[in-house]
Order: sequence, then structure tokens, then C-alpha cells
Amino acid sequence: MSSALQSLSDDLAAAVEAASRSVVAVHARRRIPSSGVVWREGIVVTAHHTVQREDGITVSLDDGTAVGATLVGRDPSTDLAVLRLEPGAGTVAQHPADGEEIRVGQLVLALGRPGAAVTAAMGVVSATGGEWRTWHGGRIDRFVRLDLAIYDGFSGGPLVDAQGRVLGINSSGLARAAAMTIPARTVERVATQLLETGHVRRGFMGVGVQPVRLPAGTVRAHALGRDVGLMVISVEEGAPAHAAGVSLGDIIVAFDGTAVSDPSELLGALSGERVGKPVSLRILRGGAPQDVTVTVGERSARGER
Amino acid sequence: MAPTIAPTNAPTMLGTSTLAVGRELEGLAALVRSYTVGVRSRSGRQPLGSGVIWHPDGLIVTNAHVARERRLVVALPNEALVEAECVARDESCDLALLHVDVEGLRAAPVGDPSAARAGSLVLALGHPMGVPNAMSLGVVHAVTTERGNPRFIAADVALAPGNSGGPLVDADGRVLGINAMVMSGLGVAITSNVVRRFVRQALASGAITISHPLAA
Repeated sequence: MSSALQSLSDDLAAAVEAASRSVVAVHARRRIPSSGVVWREGIVVTAHHTVQREDGITVSLDDGTAVGATLVGRDPSTDLAVLRLEPGAGTVAQHPADGEEIRVGQLVLALGRPGAAVTAAMGVVSATGGEWRTWHGGRIDRFVRLDLAIYDGFSGGPLVDAQGRVLGINSSGLARAAAMTIPARTVERVATQLLETGHVRRGFMGVGVQPVRLPAGTVRAHALGRDVGLMVISVEEGAPAHAAGVSLGDIIVAFDGTAVSDPSELLGALSGERVGKPVSLRILRGGAPQDVTVTVGERSARGER
Repeated sequence: MAPTIAPTNAPTMLGTSTLAVGRELEGLAALVRSYTVGVRSRSGRQPLGSGVIWHPDGLIVTNAHVARERRLVVALPNEALVEAECVARDESCDLALLHVDVEGLRAAPVGDPSAARAGSLVLALGHPMGVPNAMSLGVVHAVTTERGNPRFIAADVALAPGNSGGPLVDADGRVLGINAMVMSGLGVAITSNVVRRFVRQALASGAITISHPLAA
């Protein structure tokens, strides 16, 4: 009767079936399991916020078998965690070729395995954009927002195209309002770092900051780019900022020559490449601007859990 | 100079299959409308839910939680309001059978819920919040079974109160289930095999008689 619709329906069901082989259930929290994707041979990627214990993690594969998994590492800044299975377990996900971009309006499916069977939701890509930073300063290569419902247990599961190829990992932990996808390129980069070092390298100064509005006169007098700065409300003893003489009440207005007025901008600027390098911090102290040089340290993975 | 406006029948960038999908969706919605009814209170004013024409002799299936009264009013696909009687009701499976004294109704084709797979396209039609014939498209999320038989279909479709009793259909417009509830944002339908059994039992009990037998 309706041949095009029926074949679209068959194609979608076939895409789910093909992709489902690489979708696993991750048992690492008390309530329903979350989802994960067999990203490489014996390696599963899942959502960091759903891994609530570090020992005794099990993973249920497509064929119904349950296998033990060890936590390789996690990156709270991109909400990704990597688990290692016994060699050969699971079927590795298929990805589109490099350079095939995710497009607005593209028909996509989100898959999850919050139990024995794989489950599906359909929608379209509602917005795309360039690189962005998460609340925790993680770098995501591409902004991908979905017009699609992410159900309980879907975090860590894949976003797949109509051919069942994995475009990224879905997470409800990155934005309040809508489902977001961590694109395959970011997952690949973070997974590689976690497999090599066990954590994602992040820069660290050892200050706690809070945005404060600056007096209009001060902004005018010192030609500051913005009327909001970041007041230092805590300094960690012995941390790089402490060693550089940053003190409580200083207001950070620029990091390496770039104005900062939101804590996420400062976090974003403290990328792994900065570790061990000096950086110039422009601060207001007693209403007068001055520059201090801080040697960026490395944030321990443990400090951020 | 007046701006040039491209004629609407100009060639588009859409592939023929995309156009066919759009056309077929419209056809599908029209088909499903032809056997979906609104269920209202006896006064005809208060919308209670939706229903599916199950047999041309005036048998309509809806949810038990929609048909709480014996006397109701049904809004037929041609918008006529007719009196309906609730002739059978089973709260354990949340189904009710209504009878309207109208002949020659178009009964819904019934599909096979056991053929539904995660990712299969489904469409829900109903009268959510009294809005007539609202359509929602989605995919099968999961089918739950009981002793090997399909029992519920969870689908990624947007439902609201008033969708209750309306059909969840496959890409060919065949009824896979009766939408009954929303759980964690998912629409949940009672599968058509369960509905069939309920209707068979209602007829066997003598609650209502029909002029020709039901298809198996």
C-alpha cells in the first residue's frame, strides 16, 4: 500500500538492528543501567556521569552475555568514560567516513540498551555549530543538538544515521534543555587520551572565581573590554596561582590577553597544552590593573570527580 | 520591477522517495482518520478520549479508563455525533467496547504487533486535549511480551491525555495497538492481539451481537 513509507520503516528498523550489535548496557550504577558503544576492539565508551562505581562494572553485550569491564579512565569535562572488556568481546561500531558532516535536518536515531533489548528513538538534527566548551570546560569539536527524546538509560548510547552508522555518543549531562551528541571526532580524541594516560590532561591554576560587575568608571579608565570580571574567592595553598602571588579579592579580567568574564571561559582556556607554560593574567587589585605571570599546573584527574 | 517568483511546480532538490514519503504520510493520515473516533461525555461536550472502529456493525474499541459511563457520545470520522453504549469493559486490560447504531462504518485493518521491531515507523492518531485528529510520528521503542505474545508496544511518539483509546498504526495504516498511557515520556499501546481477544470474549459473553463474524 504505502511502499516508500514501508521501505523507510524497514530501513530504519534495519539501521537499528545493524547498529545494535555495538550497543551495550553498562551496569555501573544502582538504578537502571546506562548505555555504551563498543568503539574499538574490546573498548567501550559510555557517559561519565552514569559510571557511579569504579569496581565491579559489568557490560551486557548484544548477544545477551554479560562480561566484566575495567574503568580505563574518565573525562568529566566531556562527560565520557572508557571501559576495557576482555579482548574480542563485542562488535565494533561502524562510523561514517571522515569529512562527512552531520547536517541540520538529517534523520537520526538514538539507541539505548537500558535492559536486555535495544530501544530506539527517532528525530532530526536540530542545530549544528562549531567547536564549543561544556560547563566543565571540555572541548567538543562540533555542536550537535537534537530534536529527539533521550529516555532513561540512553546516556552513553549512540546517535546513528539512517544507515546505522554511529555519529556520536548521546548525553543528557551536557545541557539542561535538549539532548546533545558528542561527535565521533571528540570521542575518538578523548578515548585515545584516556587509553594512553588514563586521564585527559587539563591545566590548573588553583583559584576559585565568581563573576562580578565592575564599576563603569574602572572599565572606562582602563579600557577594559568587558564590564564583568572574575573575582578570586579562593586560592589553593601551594597551587600555581598562589605561587604567583594571586590573592583573595583580585579580579581576573584577562587570560593571556583575552578578556574573561565567565568561569567557563577560564576553564576552557586552561587546556592541556598550557600545562607547564607561563601565562599572563591581567588582574584588578585595589581598582588598579596589573599583570601577574602564572605557570599553569596540571589538574589531577581525581580532583574533579 | 516585480520580483520573480518561482512557480510552485518547479523541480525541487528533493529525491522522489522523499516526496513519496511525504505523500504517503498524508494518505496514511487520511486512512487512519477514516477509522478513528472521538469519545465524549453523554452531553457530547466533554472530550474523554479516542476510539477505533473495530467492526462495521458499529463496534468501537477504546480504553476502559476512557469509557467510565454506560452512555457516551462518539464523534465519527465524518464529524457526526452519535450516541454510544458501553457494552463491555475490562479494567484489568484497560479496554472497553462501545456500540453505536450506525451501519456501514469503515473498520480498521489490524496489523501484526509481533512483526514490529525497534526502529519501525509508527503513527498515533487521536484527539489529545480535544484537538481532533492530531497525528504523531515516531518509531517503535520496544515491544514487551507476555508468555511469548506481544502485550505492550512502547513507541517514541508524543501523546497527551485524549490520545487514550486511539490507534498506534504501522507504515501501512494497520492497527498495532490502542494507545493507553504515557510512561517516562514514551507512548504505551495495548497490542492488537490483546484487543482481539477482549472483543472475542465480549461477543462470546453475549454482550452484543453482530450480523457477520469477525475476521480471525
